[in-house]
Amino acid sequence: MTSPEADVLDRAKPPPAPALIALSGVAKTFTARNGSAVRALDGVDLEIRPGEFVSIVGPSGCGKSTLLRMVAGLDPCEEGTLVLDGRAVAGPSGDVGVVFQAANLLPWLNVRENVRLPLRVGGRRAAEPARIDALLGMAGLGEFGAKYPYQLSGGMQQRVGICRALARDPRILLMDEPFGALDALTRERMNAELQRIWQTSGKTVLLITHSISEAIFLADRVVVMSARPGRVLRELAVPIPRPRSFDTIVSHPAYAALACEVRGLLSAEGGIE
Amino acid sequence: MSGASMQQGASAATLAATPARRRRRFAEVRGSLIAAGGMLVLLALWEGSVRFLHTPSYILPTPGSVVHALWSGLAVSPASPVGYYRPLWGTFHNAALGFVLGSLLGLVLGSLMAESRVIEKLLMPYAFALQCLPKIAIAPLVVIWFGFGDGSKIAIAAMLTFFSLLINSFTGLRATEPERIDLMRSLSASRFEIYRIVKLPNAASFIFAGLDMAVVYALLGTIVAEFLGAQNGMGVVITQAQSVNDVAGVFAALVILGALGIALHALMHRLERRVVHWADRGTN
Ligand SMILES: Nc1ncnc2c1ncn2[C@@H]1O[C@H](COP(=O)(O)OP(=O)(O)OP(=O)(O)O)[C@@H](O)[C@H]1O
Ligand SMILES: [Mg+2]
Repeated sequence: MTSPEADVLDRAKPPPAPALIALSGVAKTFTARNGSAVRALDGVDLEIRPGEFVSIVGPSGCGKSTLLRMVAGLDPCEEGTLVLDGRAVAGPSGDVGVVFQAANLLPWLNVRENVRLPLRVGGRRAAEPARIDALLGMAGLGEFGAKYPYQLSGGMQQRVGICRALARDPRILLMDEPFGALDALTRERMNAELQRIWQTSGKTVLLITHSISEAIFLADRVVVMSARPGRVLRELAVPIPRPRSFDTIVSHPAYAALACEVRGLLSAEGGIE
Repeated sequence: MSGASMQQGASAATLAATPARRRRRFAEVRGSLIAAGGMLVLLALWEGSVRFLHTPSYILPTPGSVVHALWSGLAVSPASPVGYYRPLWGTFHNAALGFVLGSLLGLVLGSLMAESRVIEKLLMPYAFALQCLPKIAIAPLVVIWFGFGDGSKIAIAAMLTFFSLLINSFTGLRATEPERIDLMRSLSASRFEIYRIVKLPNAASFIFAGLDMAVVYALLGTIVAEFLGAQNGMGVVITQAQSVNDVAGVFAALVILGALGIALHALMHRLERRVVHWADRGTN
């Protein structure tokens, strides 16, 4: 099942701990009603260790969202193997938090109810008001619990979306371009916040982004994907100590080299956007 | 003035005196004055043309005689067998019962059709065929089945309401954004949880649009059933007035029905504002 290219890929680090998420030869073909087929993913091999922060960058349409949806159990994995915590993924597991592009809040629920949603569906009946308060406080939304999504700015909505993904305290956080709609400054602030959350919680994070600087700033490892059909082109370790800040990271020698390499890989694949 | 801005106005009385608000109030008052003025002119033209053209009163009564008929129908004890109160209550009662029954049935079946492809495939052909049929034409058949009592009125009102709700709830439930369903699936929510927490609120505006139409349909159905034969109801008031060429009486009954329709419509609108409070404020 493994594609021949897998051997020539330069692995950044051999995984010491057993992988929490393991993809091997994962492929996906969408077949339209008229029979025409789109090969979205083609032999993706990727291992993510517990507590690791991995960013994925790749040209538009290369199958990043498809990959994330399969890890989340929203789309079935029909080719290759996709293992999560030692078990093949067969559907959404309660232990994975997903942060969607464009907050995806329910407009008829207020902020607190949106964040509480994961605690009251899927066979859960937990009240846990203290936990919700703590999450909202951490995201700087303490006073906004009773507000409705339309009363919040885009950045605040996105923070609510992140709080919601954290409500069940999942081991794994999957994020699909969560900050794409935000202005540069808000985005950097959210990145710093996400880094802090990740450092204090020890979660495993898989982040899809179009921003090279965001990918490097947050990740232990940046995964660069090829143009469609998507494969893993290269994995690059980010040897920059934490906590990182946007002010100092740009002057780190590894940063410029990494950014340059990622940019080179992507432009060879036809650009990032 | 919208219900939502009224709610906000109540909580923020300090805002009431801002120039923008005052201007808006002024515009509203002026708008009402224009409408009232136009109506007075229309009534005057009506009265004048009937008098000067000597239109016979069994063709077009004067506004004055309509007001007189209205007054004689309203200035009686609510319990009296003559006057509007008893027939009005009868019509309202049957229309309301039919409305509630039809809405519930329409919502339940619309939901089942939206949730299950099998039920959709099974029922959609009939729903579509009946949708294209002028359903009021079934009324005589319903009278044969349910008789001349309240049953046929309720049944016809329910039938018309049912179709309006069936189509609208089905469409609204199917229009749910897939991202929202993905969210619920990622939380391993049950099908019923997805329905209750996402799809139903998502369809609320569609459902209210259906209810809004259905209010008028329920009244329409009840009146038509009363035309076909009844002991009590505004339809009976109209046919009785018609049988003695009391055109002013017919007009007066129509005014009463119009007022009832407007009141129910306004009630539904307020209810919608309250329930679907997040709508029209832009989604995220
Ligand atoms: N449900 C679907 N049916 C058919 N084709 C699909 C479907 N979902 C995705 N595709 C196709 O698969 C390919 C990969 O899509 P995907 O959304 O995963 O890309 P992406 O890398 O997330 O792109 P972007 O960076 O623009 O978000 C695209 O060519 C898309 O057209
Ligand atoms: Mg995408």
